[in-house]
Amino acid sequence: MSGAEREREVRRLRRERPRRRFARFSGWALASLAVYCWLAGDFRLDLLDERRLANLRRFLGELVPYPLREGFDLRVAWEWTVGLLSQRGLEAAITTLAIAVAAICLAGLVASGLSLAAARNLTTPEAFLQDPVPPPRWVRGAGLGVVYATRALLVLLRSIPEYIWAFLLISVIGPSAWPAVLALAIHNAGILGKLGGEVVENLETRPLSALRALGATRSQIVVTAIFPMALSRFLLFFFYRWETCVREATVLGMLGIVSLGYWIQDARARTQYDTMIFLVALGVALVLVGDLLSAVARRVVRDA
Amino acid sequence: MIGARSWVIAAIAAAGLWAGWHADLDPRALVPSAGGLQVAREFFARALSPALTYESTTAVPGASPLLVKALGAAHQTLLFAGAAVSLALAIGLPLGFLSSTVWWEGDPAGGEGRLTRVLRRTLAPLVYAFARTLATVMRSVHELLWAVIFLAAFGMSHLAAVVAIAVPFGGTFAKVFSELLDEAPRDTAAALRAAGASPLQVVVFGVLPRAQSDMTAYAFYRFECALRSSAVLGFFGYPTLGYYLAASFENLHYGEVWTYLYVLLLLIAAADWWSGTFRRSFAA
Repeated sequence: MSGAEREREVRRLRRERPRRRFARFSGWALASLAVYCWLAGDFRLDLLDERRLANLRRFLGELVPYPLREGFDLRVAWEWTVGLLSQRGLEAAITTLAIAVAAICLAGLVASGLSLAAARNLTTPEAFLQDPVPPPRWVRGAGLGVVYATRALLVLLRSIPEYIWAFLLISVIGPSAWPAVLALAIHNAGILGKLGGEVVENLETRPLSALRALGATRSQIVVTAIFPMALSRFLLFFFYRWETCVREATVLGMLGIVSLGYWIQDARARTQYDTMIFLVALGVALVLVGDLLSAVARRVVRDA
Repeated sequence: MIGARSWVIAAIAAAGLWAGWHADLDPRALVPSAGGLQVAREFFARALSPALTYESTTAVPGASPLLVKALGAAHQTLLFAGAAVSLALAIGLPLGFLSSTVWWEGDPAGGEGRLTRVLRRTLAPLVYAFARTLATVMRSVHELLWAVIFLAAFGMSHLAAVVAIAVPFGGTFAKVFSELLDEAPRDTAAALRAAGASPLQVVVFGVLPRAQSDMTAYAFYRFECALRSSAVLGFFGYPTLGYYLAASFENLHYGEVWTYLYVLLLLIAAADWWSGTFRRSFAA
């Protein structure tokens, strides 16, 4: 092959390479969006001017626990830590954990129902198997209608951030742990419902078709086949979302629910920055414990 | 014989019951008080009739119409989210690369020298461990907590809000990107190395392209999350949707609240659709 021929061949291969128009367009659109955001937004580099630096220095000074500002003493540091933990830290951390657990359990319950309705292969009148006499068009349309209505509901649930759900719910149900639990449950039901619906749609269909051919009803198929087949993947998502619930449950306290965030906000309002940072660090520890628990649980599920 | 999965489900149920007991979740407390019921009734009555003009009787002269204001807030939400995600990518790409094993484990760039080998065995694992720890700390603190810390440290600054979102998102990017890089097939990299490519060429043409589509898809998904976070930052005084939503709710202008909610919904549904279509264009 001569040089020119090879050159031409390379050019032909390049021209005929598989291209995904939409993906390519999206990439460019996103990149230009990023540039636009930095140009159009009011993001002046104002973090390092005189006044802010003085502010920062004061802030960093106040991060040192106040009994230790005269000089470091291990016993004093220990007493300060234990004092904070026993006063409110530990109790608030456990409550945060409880809110996250309760919320994800509720979300899982609701989502397992919604994900069945959102799965097109199950909700259609001819589930997994074509009927000898095709159902009338309006029946088929009704099946699709259920699917799309469920999906729209799921979008609605997950589009509104937890924080806004909690903000709205507090003034309706009042200040207990419920607004936080419900807000997390609503948002995560939307996410788990979507993911669960995709799990059901991606299941191996042959065993399901076989059951249908044997005359099994939809609910029998769900109980005997879909549930055991989809459970592992669903549980993986369940634990992933629980990890984010722990993070979010901490933050929702800033709205006035007694989780860690409440005391963080409280310490900030009193400008006790040493306490504030300590509680943030406690939140980090809580998140790490949550990640660890979730990783163990996911391993158990995956190996089962 | 009870399987492991049954144990997991039993454990979840037990944990749920404990949580309900510990957090004092009395179902009777769910029934709203008379005042709460009143709020709920008035709030949901406006669900299908969001406000198109201001509900306040004392209109501020010279204020732009409500819809213009809502779109402006959506625009600001978009600006904060876009700036934050691009900054998070700038942090997360190098950090994710350093917290993956592709650049040092298993002789990826085929360095032959004695010094290279020694460095790879001593320094590289340290850098790797440091990068992973840094990413974990960054993403373990929620973006709103970063925002609160930065508010205390710097005072009000739009850039600080962007950084507050970018730090935990950068940490999450680092974690996910490192996993994607580690899981991507290394065949191309091995072939390039055998053909004598330089370390940089191996990484740019052998390693990154195998993980690129998944990484882009994930970046899209995080952009959607950033829109939500950016909207919520409004509760801390930044001019995004959350700010106007909270103000209208506190003034009992429920129709306006629904307007802002629907604008937010549209913004996020659009991002959701975009990232979903993007992912499917790769799956097909």
